[in-house]
Amino acid sequence: MEQYSQHFLYPSTFFASKDPYVVKTILGSCVAICLWDPVTRIGGINHYMLPNWNGNDLASPKYGNIAIDKLLERLAQLGAKRENLKAKIFGGGELIESRTNGAYIGERNIRVARMILEEKKIPVVASSTGGKKGRKILFFTDTGEVRHKFLDKKNV
Amino acid sequence: MTNMTDRQLLKELRAKLNERKKYEQEVQMLTRELQEVTNKLRESESLKSHFISNISNEIVNPFTSILGLSKSILSVEKNDWKKVVSMVALIHSEAFNLDFQLRNIFVAAKIEAGEVVPNISKVNVRGIIQSIIDSFNLVARKMGITIEFEYNIEYGFGKNFYFKTDSEKIKLILSNLLNNALKYSYKDSKVIIRVWTDDENLSFSVQDFGTGISDKNQKIIFERFKRLDTGINSLNRGHGLGLSITKALLDVLGGEIEIDSKKGEGSTFTIHLPEAKNIVEGFSGEGNDIFFDDEDEIF
Repeated sequence: MEQYSQHFLYPSTFFASKDPYVVKTILGSCVAICLWDPVTRIGGINHYMLPNWNGNDLASPKYGNIAIDKLLERLAQLGAKRENLKAKIFGGGELIESRTNGAYIGERNIRVARMILEEKKIPVVASSTGGKKGRKILFFTDTGEVRHKFLDKKNV
Repeated sequence: MTNMTDRQLLKELRAKLNERKKYEQEVQMLTRELQEVTNKLRESESLKSHFISNISNEIVNPFTSILGLSKSILSVEKNDWKKVVSMVALIHSEAFNLDFQLRNIFVAAKIEAGEVVPNISKVNVRGIIQSIIDSFNLVARKMGITIEFEYNIEYGFGKNFYFKTDSEKIKLILSNLLNNALKYSYKDSKVIIRVWTDDENLSFSVQDFGTGISDKNQKIIFERFKRLDTGINSLNRGHGLGLSITKALLDVLGGEIEIDSKKGEGSTFTIHLPEAKNIVEGFSGEGNDIFFDDEDEIF
């Protein structure tokens, strides 16, 4: 454990590293995609809030399609090989107080993740998505291991 | 025998035809995809070049003025302090504008790179709002606009009210709202900044008595690079990022923005912010509270 540095991942940001990191994030209807290359042990994770960029806001990783592209780009910069990458998908719960901005945000967030990963031929080796609860996940960038726990609503 | 070969030939031809059709379909599909990508690319390219031409004005114009003015100061008659002071005031307002715009551009780039995170501390609300007003005062005075500050928080430590939030982001949000208010105000009018709290929310509003925004345009103004070219004091200035940045920063802080405007009567932008502890429960931001739970499942 000592050799891991730590990072807390905020919504609308992403993180990738060559060095072993443990990344923590809290998910409600947001989705986080963990990507790592088991050969080079380079990994990264994003945390997006909405499925697709609407073309109007700043093109930030708040949006799934942008968040995935940016994470892949960063991983490639760090030297991860696209053909080695494996993915895990978490989040996308429908919390009751999911605000009013359109129904089934969680579901749509998950769908975008699966669609884009399939298109890019990156295998999804594990996932925990949907449901009505929030999640806390810890992602180990070198091994791709994820520790996952459901949260009570008040914590999300 | 010849019959057989004929039939075979026909079969082969048909197979080839089918294959060709399949290829054609594939090519068509690929062409369509390519067209879509090209369209998207062209759209984003045109937005980008529009943006670049906008910001190059934004940066080049102030520099040209600053260079010109400072050169003329060097050749001012001895002791003509009045002239010097007026030119220095102009240099200041140009430099102020340049600084403001550059800050915005860098923040927009940071937001798009996913590098903007909350940086929470106890913030002296009155203090930072006053500092923003002070920094805009010179520019406002040049336009003949007074900035009024109505502070409606009665409790707190002395005159000061402390609120857990991100001071840099609040400053940028308020600067953008104030900058817009000034830009769309008439000469010799005023801009009113109000601050109040209810329960756990901090609210502030910026009201101007300028051109106002039509219902239709109220939807457009939050889009990136979009500007309404009706600014009275704008001289066609701006990069169209101010409100997009404001919205993105409010996202980070969990805040909301409201707009209340009537064409011809002016606009009021109101911000509501929750106290920062409600943004993400149970971590300090440094990541030093990452711990394992026994209930953790391993994936």
